[in-house]
Amino acid sequence: MELYFISLCLLVIGGIISIFVKENYKMKLCAVITGVSTILLTMLSVACLLSGESFGAQIHLPPIFESVDFIIDPLSAFFVLVISVLSFLGTIYACGYIKPYLNKGMNLSPHTFFLMLLIASMIGVVTVQNSIFFIVLWEIMSLSSFFLVIFEGHKKEVLNAGIKYLVYMHISMIFILSAFVVLNINSNSLNFSDFISVLSQNTKLANIVFLLAFIGFGTKAGFLPFHNWLPDAHPAAPSHVSGIMSGVMIKTGIYGILRTIWLIGAPSKFVAYLVICISVISALWGVLYAITQHNIKRLLAYHSLENIGIIGIGIGIGLLGMVYNNPIVALLGFGGGILHILNHAIFKPLLFFCAGNIYKQTHTKDVELLGGLIKKMPYTSLLFIIGSVAICGLPPFNGFISEILIYGGIVLGLVNANNITAFMTLIISLASLALIGTMAILCFTKVTGVMLLGNSRSEQAANVSFDVEKVMLIPIFILAVLAGLIGFFPQYAIIPVINPILEVTKNDTVLSFIPSMINLLGMLSLIFFVFLIIVLLVTGFRLIINRKSRIHNTWGCGYNRGNERMQYTASSYADLFVSTLKPMFKRIVHIKKPKELFPKEAYYEIKIEDLEEAYIVKPLIKLDEKLLSKFERIQNGNMQQYILFGLIFLILSIIGLFFIG
Amino acid sequence: MITILNILILIFMPFLTIGIIKKTKAFWGGRKGVKLLQPLYDVLRLLKKEAVYSTTTSWVFKFAPLVGFSTILFAGLFVPMANGESVINIPFGFIIFSYILGFGKFFSLIGAMDTGSSFEGMGASREACFSTIVEPAFFIFMGSIVALTNNHSFANLKMILDNAGIYGYLIITLAVITIFIMLLIEGCRVPIDDPTTHLELTMIHEVMILDNSGIDLGLITWGAGIKMFLFEALIAALIIPAGLPVWLAITAFLAIICLLSIIIGTIESSIARFRMTHVFEFIFIMSITALIILTLVTYRIYGN
Repeated sequence: MELYFISLCLLVIGGIISIFVKENYKMKLCAVITGVSTILLTMLSVACLLSGESFGAQIHLPPIFESVDFIIDPLSAFFVLVISVLSFLGTIYACGYIKPYLNKGMNLSPHTFFLMLLIASMIGVVTVQNSIFFIVLWEIMSLSSFFLVIFEGHKKEVLNAGIKYLVYMHISMIFILSAFVVLNINSNSLNFSDFISVLSQNTKLANIVFLLAFIGFGTKAGFLPFHNWLPDAHPAAPSHVSGIMSGVMIKTGIYGILRTIWLIGAPSKFVAYLVICISVISALWGVLYAITQHNIKRLLAYHSLENIGIIGIGIGIGLLGMVYNNPIVALLGFGGGILHILNHAIFKPLLFFCAGNIYKQTHTKDVELLGGLIKKMPYTSLLFIIGSVAICGLPPFNGFISEILIYGGIVLGLVNANNITAFMTLIISLASLALIGTMAILCFTKVTGVMLLGNSRSEQAANVSFDVEKVMLIPIFILAVLAGLIGFFPQYAIIPVINPILEVTKNDTVLSFIPSMINLLGMLSLIFFVFLIIVLLVTGFRLIINRKSRIHNTWGCGYNRGNERMQYTASSYADLFVSTLKPMFKRIVHIKKPKELFPKEAYYEIKIEDLEEAYIVKPLIKLDEKLLSKFERIQNGNMQQYILFGLIFLILSIIGLFFIG
Repeated sequence: MITILNILILIFMPFLTIGIIKKTKAFWGGRKGVKLLQPLYDVLRLLKKEAVYSTTTSWVFKFAPLVGFSTILFAGLFVPMANGESVINIPFGFIIFSYILGFGKFFSLIGAMDTGSSFEGMGASREACFSTIVEPAFFIFMGSIVALTNNHSFANLKMILDNAGIYGYLIITLAVITIFIMLLIEGCRVPIDDPTTHLELTMIHEVMILDNSGIDLGLITWGAGIKMFLFEALIAALIIPAGLPVWLAITAFLAIICLLSIIIGTIESSIARFRMTHVFEFIFIMSITALIILTLVTYRIYGN
């Protein structure tokens, strides 16, 4: 446990030292320090995950708190592992990504400092067991990530996105805080371990606390009604920060939800159905809007929403299994959900980093302006394709493993369901998962097809002549290898997930089903190798019997002057689907039709706005402005009046004192 | 022994089914038609021809037909074959089946986008869009059958009759309709798509492979045949009852495959391809039959 504190201190001190180091070495220093602390934390968390034992330590701060517990139990250890490894890869990647900014003479000190602080606070959040300290660390995490988002704060849209993020985080904070306040009043304690007894006695209280916590943590994770900061913050932040935020930081929200479930112990039906319902809607919403987006990072941000939804479906199925006392369903649901946390933390940073590579070389995030990059940036493109296959949940990569576990939970639940509500919920989740999968395929074939393949659609893409440097490729390569390894050896990848599941479900009968789950995954691994052999055989067959070929232009159905402007665009690729689902979007169309005999100017522009933003958030903001504008008169800059207000307040409070006294 | 027979049937039967479809169409058209095994000769000829690659394409374009063919072949191992059993019998086989096909579809879609053509993207867009309607319907259908039969591999298709009581034949009929529509979509047959012409803007799958030639086209054609055959095999699994002697099961299987091919040929001779707007309506029939099956199953389980 000393290792834990050492690595936390290392991270914070490293952040402070990085302020005083020369600009060129700042990011490298961060990478080295994160590397060291990652090694320490990995050792600790792997030890915890394999043995299932918790490590703990107490800090004594006598006047205010008697003791503050820092405990690494399997659930925390899993998150510590994911956070530390991903942060390390992120900082390595940042060494390369940050170079152009260095050449512009930007001051990196705040960036490196807050990056280290973010990593340290994330690790702190998932281990601390005291509500006050949890809130403090949570706030440090939100604030430091806010400063990372506004890295390019001189741009107006970046600053706006940052402020939006900050506002959302503080709304989430209110809910988390009130959940803790409710618990604190009822248990007279600040420690998580004391909450358990209170929550297990009172189901009503447990439901209220869960609802508050779910809204609070769900805002961080990006569940539906509170997801709106995601698609703005991710494109604004630099790519390594988007990778870390999307891959890891939003998972602290999931950690919060899982921790609440752990505290509650035996959740009620309400909790299970709430989680499934919100998750299904979030996932569908995320992928639906992802299809309409043509800014690559915005699109990936919407996919975070989708994947958080899938994680939520897994957790929801697990909860349903717990509620109806069906341990195998609980096992598969939680197993799929928690494994998907790891998987998403692998392929989402992978995709964000690839998007960063492309942005670095072409200076655009607009998919429509790219194309033909596979020849110019072969490694980035290959890695991006691997990432896309993985995120679509297609075999033989890691996304499939977690999805089939969730599917397994649903299917076994269907077999054993004993009431119609559960049955229908399961069928709807089954169909939604299938729908999400195919929509993800639509979305990512669009992105890869338009962004990487075909001919270059603009000067920016055509002028790229080489791939990025190695330091930006190696972290992505490691992530891709991890994605493949988890896909091909799922029976080993599930091992770190088992102890966290046992922690959450607290059910011994679950244990007896673990061998059969590992057995199933072993079969999957075998099947994937058969598949690999078939692919190799077919490839070999093709190479042996015929390798003659000739080069020619693309067949244009008789037209020989095809050019890059005639290619299918991302909008047209998505149009059939988008126009089928018209009512789901708010389309803002700017159109100027060509007129007269010799038309001069014509354009057509479609912008798709999130329905939730258009019909819920914006009216709320308007209402807010309307109400608050009534109070504008008070703030008039007149000193005498301010003194009068102070006087009135004093008199009122004195009168109030009389009444109370 | 029977496994090898199954694999051989999986690899070579598709030529016969396509041959039968062509013969049927020739019959209704009053022609003599090509030889029954002409599809086999066509593929063999294509395998020998040299391939032409566009200057725009990359490795994705060359890799896509290989992946497409292998995934279809591999997915075939999960489908109940001649003797009513699949080569690989694993829990959740139907999920792996669909996801493996999805993997192949992913590559064939980006392979089409790789040519930078103005046509092939359109085909890819349509193919991707239609599968978003097909897959959920298929999963609702399979989910209902799983709940009905308490079995979660493809073997459950044979158990409907035992578990569904009075609704048995109704569910089987609806199931056959569901899978048959899926066959028409995934196998690119009329009235969704027309495999005999390329140059029509209403094309879906066929327009995606405009640029493929030689051995690549050979593999794609072969794969498309196998894919159609897989869905025919699923229908056969629905119809043939469990517990028949092996020789009878195999004969019934082959007979049903041939019969289905004749039906497909007859449909292709009697109606024209739908307009694109009507294709959606047609595909939604599949969702509706799947939902009716779900309703019946729910009533069967929770009705009393």
